[in-house]
Amino acid sequence: MAEINDRIRRGDAVVVTAEEMIEIVRERGEVEAAKEVDIVTTGTFGAMCSSGAWLNFGHADPPIKMQRVWLNDVEAYTGVAAVDAYIGATQLSETRGFEYGGGHVIEDLIRGKKIEVRAIAYGTDCYPRKELETTITKDDINQAVLCNPRNAYQRYVAATNSRDETIYTYMGTLLPNYGNVTYSGSGALSPLHNDPNYETIGVGTRIFLGGTQGYIFWEGTQHAPTKAMGTIMTIGNLKEMDARYIRGATIEKYGSTLYVGLGIPIPIINERVAKTTGVSDEEIKTDLTDYGTPRRDRPILREVTYVELKSGKVEINGNEVLVSSMSSLKRAREIAGVLKKWIEEKRFFLSQPVEGLPTDQVFKPIKQVAGVPFVSDIMTREVVTAKPSDSIASAAKIFAKHNFDHLPVVDAKGKLVGIATSWDIAVAVGTGKKKLSEVLSSKVITAKEDEPVDAVARRLETHKISGVPVINARGELRGILTNQDLSKLLGGRGR
Amino acid sequence: MTRKVLLRYSTQKATEPILASVIKKTEILPNILYAELSTKGGEILLSIDAPDKEVDKTIALFKQKGVEVQEIKRAIELDRDSCFDCGACLSLCPTGALYMTDDKSVELEENKCIYCELCVPSCPVRALKLSKF
Repeated sequence: MAEINDRIRRGDAVVVTAEEMIEIVRERGEVEAAKEVDIVTTGTFGAMCSSGAWLNFGHADPPIKMQRVWLNDVEAYTGVAAVDAYIGATQLSETRGFEYGGGHVIEDLIRGKKIEVRAIAYGTDCYPRKELETTITKDDINQAVLCNPRNAYQRYVAATNSRDETIYTYMGTLLPNYGNVTYSGSGALSPLHNDPNYETIGVGTRIFLGGTQGYIFWEGTQHAPTKAMGTIMTIGNLKEMDARYIRGATIEKYGSTLYVGLGIPIPIINERVAKTTGVSDEEIKTDLTDYGTPRRDRPILREVTYVELKSGKVEINGNEVLVSSMSSLKRAREIAGVLKKWIEEKRFFLSQPVEGLPTDQVFKPIKQVAGVPFVSDIMTREVVTAKPSDSIASAAKIFAKHNFDHLPVVDAKGKLVGIATSWDIAVAVGTGKKKLSEVLSSKVITAKEDEPVDAVARRLETHKISGVPVINARGELRGILTNQDLSKLLGGRGR
Repeated sequence: MTRKVLLRYSTQKATEPILASVIKKTEILPNILYAELSTKGGEILLSIDAPDKEVDKTIALFKQKGVEVQEIKRAIELDRDSCFDCGACLSLCPTGALYMTDDKSVELEENKCIYCELCVPSCPVRALKLSKF
């Protein structure tokens, strides 16, 4: 490392970007590449929700021990001492909702904009003040430190949606029936993918962070190196950052986030590292995952490479599907280029990590003490049904006899063909319709037995309906789940 | 100048070769951006790249043939200062009006836009703006 820094100082270090390295390793092999190249620069620019900033406001007179604090109506966590606060990227504005959040506050701070600060406190003998309202810029406060628990995922899954409705996820807008694919990450430029064994990257590695020099200070949360999903915790001086590389953003109907520009220089200390920095998009695979299933373990359709994803089109079930990237490849390239330039201009020197990153950690799910109820646990199994050929009068009788609002309509084989509500029957009577088939809604929102109840509750809420028929894979009616069934859970959640 | 014109057909008109006859007569070649026709009539969105006078003449011809004509005066704008070329909008654009160049920049070819507006809220930094006038 000292040798490489000497070369930077002398101005004869050979620096290439990770994309340039692919060709060098391909043409000359890793042995020659290791001799020839000193440093490979990487870059990524993507939405990194697990980001935020520590701020120290300084003391007011009379002083306040902030109990709660808001920056432009976005609450920051201040359960640390009196005037320290952490503004998280995904915290939403209490007045503007999804349109403005912690990520936007961070961008506005970097841009030197004025931020409205409002704080409340309970008051103590040493901190008597109970309220504070002021405006600040980054120059007015003591520290403003970007401190991100989880950045720079080595790679990430690609998302699509099997449902027959558009869904809005942290992977962006996903069109119905596998209508599009979204992904994130810079592939061959991915910082951690260029040194996946962490031979050079560790605690104390100096990096490009948001347009200035920052550091890796730990492994990131959810670090999963054995699954090629490693992450890092990063830190850097927000006051020196450039809003070109740190942007507040909104993911539609999901929330706010922070786009973070990050690049890691990788010293080519041996042939192994030369080889890993030669990684190409063809070699980086990820899982094309169905986000239409709202479970932790989502179904995987197949493996895709970053070459396919970057081409803008991916094949699903014989169809060509358009692809959106959520991260910017162009800006990732720019970052790798800027880092290269900094090193060539002797403005950036490499640091020796003081500690390695774990290579064998696994990402555990949360320990849940209460069981999650599934549709099959609480649905009503004895369902009164009707046939499409039944008369309106007989359907009306069913409603009169039973106390319910939904009448599933099934064919001779027990397959669900539609649903009629008491309202449909009232309309049918009013308009002189004779047969159930004339009024039933054939586009039915349904549920499956093995779905978690929370997913179905959200569906009822979204569609403003009070119940759904439960069907199996063949479309046969298995039961019905209504608001009444859901209310059973309130007595005692779980089984 | 390119102008966009929405034709609304009634049931009877949908069976007549109106578009073809207008094209034949004016010799102007409109681009069909979007069309939906059924037994209940339908609509066709045309993009016409011709001098203003010619477009006016075309519109008049359609009206003469009993088609309801509405000129679409909307504009979609991509704010290049704000856009950072992620491409979140690309897979939502049904006509390829939003596309990625070889150097991975996101560009907008407004002529192809049918104003479905799917892209507008999908932009993480609100770089796509629709104006109606």
